[in-house]
Amino acid sequence: MELLDKLTILADAAKYDVACTSSGVNRSAVKGKLGSTASAGICHTFSADGRCITLLKVLMSNACSYDCTYCVNRRSNDVPRATFTPRELAELTIGFYRRNYIEGLFLSSGVLRNPDYTTEQMCEAIRLLRGEYGFNGYIHAKAIPGTSKELLTRLGVLVDRMSLNIEFPSETSLRQLAPDKSGQTVLEPMRFVRDGIKDNIRDKTTSIVKRTRFVPAGQSTQMIVGASPESDYQILNLSASLYSTLELKRVFFSAYLPVNSDPLLPQVTKAPLLREHRLYQADWLMRFYHFDVNEIIDEQNPSLDPLIDPKCNWALNHIDLFPAEINKVPYEMLLRIPGIGVKGASRIAKARRERTLAFEDLSRLNVSIRRARHFITCNGRFADGLLFDPASIYDSLTCEVRNRHYKGVLDGQLSLFGESGLTREASTQPLELASWAS
Amino acid sequence: MGELTSDHLLNDGRLTCLYDGSFEGLLSAIFWVFEHKENPVDIVIEENLQSGFDQVITTIDTDIKKAERVKAGIIRSLGYQAYKDVRCVFLSDDERKGRVMLRFLQYSLKRGARSRSDLAEPIIADFDALLRAVNREIHYQLQFIRFSELRNGIFFAKIHPKANVVPLIMSHFAARLNIQPFMIFDEKHALAGIYDCQRWWMVEAEAVSVPDQCARQDEYQALWQTFYDTIAIEERANLTCRRNFMPKRFWGDLCEMIPHELRKGQPQTATPTACARLAGEQSRKSLQSPLN
Ligand code: SF4
Repeated sequence: MELLDKLTILADAAKYDVACTSSGVNRSAVKGKLGSTASAGICHTFSADGRCITLLKVLMSNACSYDCTYCVNRRSNDVPRATFTPRELAELTIGFYRRNYIEGLFLSSGVLRNPDYTTEQMCEAIRLLRGEYGFNGYIHAKAIPGTSKELLTRLGVLVDRMSLNIEFPSETSLRQLAPDKSGQTVLEPMRFVRDGIKDNIRDKTTSIVKRTRFVPAGQSTQMIVGASPESDYQILNLSASLYSTLELKRVFFSAYLPVNSDPLLPQVTKAPLLREHRLYQADWLMRFYHFDVNEIIDEQNPSLDPLIDPKCNWALNHIDLFPAEINKVPYEMLLRIPGIGVKGASRIAKARRERTLAFEDLSRLNVSIRRARHFITCNGRFADGLLFDPASIYDSLTCEVRNRHYKGVLDGQLSLFGESGLTREASTQPLELASWAS
Repeated sequence: MGELTSDHLLNDGRLTCLYDGSFEGLLSAIFWVFEHKENPVDIVIEENLQSGFDQVITTIDTDIKKAERVKAGIIRSLGYQAYKDVRCVFLSDDERKGRVMLRFLQYSLKRGARSRSDLAEPIIADFDALLRAVNREIHYQLQFIRFSELRNGIFFAKIHPKANVVPLIMSHFAARLNIQPFMIFDEKHALAGIYDCQRWWMVEAEAVSVPDQCARQDEYQALWQTFYDTIAIEERANLTCRRNFMPKRFWGDLCEMIPHELRKGQPQTATPTACARLAGEQSRKSLQSPLN
């Protein structure tokens, strides 16, 4: 098979993987080697779906021996199959990297024969890259559930980031929709990777220069949203515990897109993109804005409001904390003002030490006040012509989503809530990791 | 500004200083302004002068020693980062850069390093806005530069940035590509950066003639175009979002945005997905309309 055809098949098969970031590790160039990494990551292009392309995202093989209901690559599907040889893949990565097309490689795979054999093939490709081709750029490998610890260790010292897909927000759903996988085969390796990363830190104090570090850019995971009945409340509690107990760097969500028809899968016509978007917003609040999951969502209202972002929603529910006086409130409170980001908050904190800020000053600071203006005062003054009243704020903030532009997205969205081929679990308990794998 | 003599009063609001377009030239002009306690309305590059009614014009000669003294003054009273910022703003294409830089230095050299954090001061805000624009352009170039491999083994990229940023991106690519010689040619600013695996330097050039691409180049370009088309998810198509992240003005230099019928070495076997067809549609349109 021509390389071009292989690439077509194996990129097509990998496109549903969402984590295409190259962040989390800053490794400067090494004399005589090709490549460096930038901790903020660099997006090299954007595909027609508006997603950033940072890495060569492909599968080692799509000849999968598993039969996950939701996946194009499952063995019962009649699709063209291909497998890269390790050398083909290494050369392709180098060829792209030299031309500044990519930051590196994001390698995943279907289960070729068995997890260990697959991982060996992946290791071989990456070993060639790192060794023979002297590649010093970014590598993210998706580990195969059920891989042995020896092979995980081998893979872990070759890559920057490793991830294992938890796939679904509950183990019940995982078992039903991915019959060859179990909580055990996913969580075991995740714990192993976490412990390995911890050892790095311990090692640092004992040895001065450690040449090989285990998964230096940390571990991430991904789950499909909208194929199973779990609520946003359960999903966000699960991610919160993934961050705290497994010390993940990122939890990615992927809006369910039907590629197969299966009685267990929900019948949908549109991917729940808006729901995915709201979940990411909530996730940001937890990771960068010091929000606790309980502040974002609770058992009584287990779905995020599709019409309004979770930060605005929180502010409206805590309207007694507002308006926030831009010149006075502490930095932590600046961060909690809807529409003000981490950069904006620190610019305000810096600038207000020099002078009292008025509304016009905020635009000079390059801080957008489109949303914030409803929640702040500047030197005691409200923004002109705005009513400080939760109901009218809500109306004004949601009109954007209500308008024609989003209409289509929203329709698909609303009809989706609560629909699934799986029976809805009676419990609405938060999905702690403990219960996930029980 | 010092005390105003009658001479200054005469010039006030009318004086424009001219410099030769070099960084040292601009710093020399600023030196002259401080030395003569003048307050010109603008400092512009000689060839960009738009003469207006009732204008007083002074041409300032470039003097490396004076430029060095301004540099030292900036570093002493505002810190090295501020000097780097000044260098960066100098590379902006914005026609206001001379006066923005002058006001910034007049304001902050008088008040010291602390004025740098007075972000709401319009003089500082104007300077920071130009600085942000140049930094954004630098990042765009790190993202969107595409190298082609030539027959002689050198990797070549042609770009058309909004600011004269090649000098600020060379170290990134030199460190990263390391064992690979390359040239980045900025056609708009007639400037080329060259790296030979030992060091990098800049050359002024209106045009460069380069050898043909090597055979492998077409192959890799076709592979990349195929990858680009394949990786998009049709059901998630969002062309507005793509255009926001990747403004159309870059498309002309991006090989993955070349419309299908104009691509080389793309065999028939690779059937474009619907998303790719969409993508092709878009870039065709962009060829007809002027780049934004
Ligand atoms: S293991 Fe399941 S999800 Fe992964 S490629 Fe195979 S069928 Fe798809």
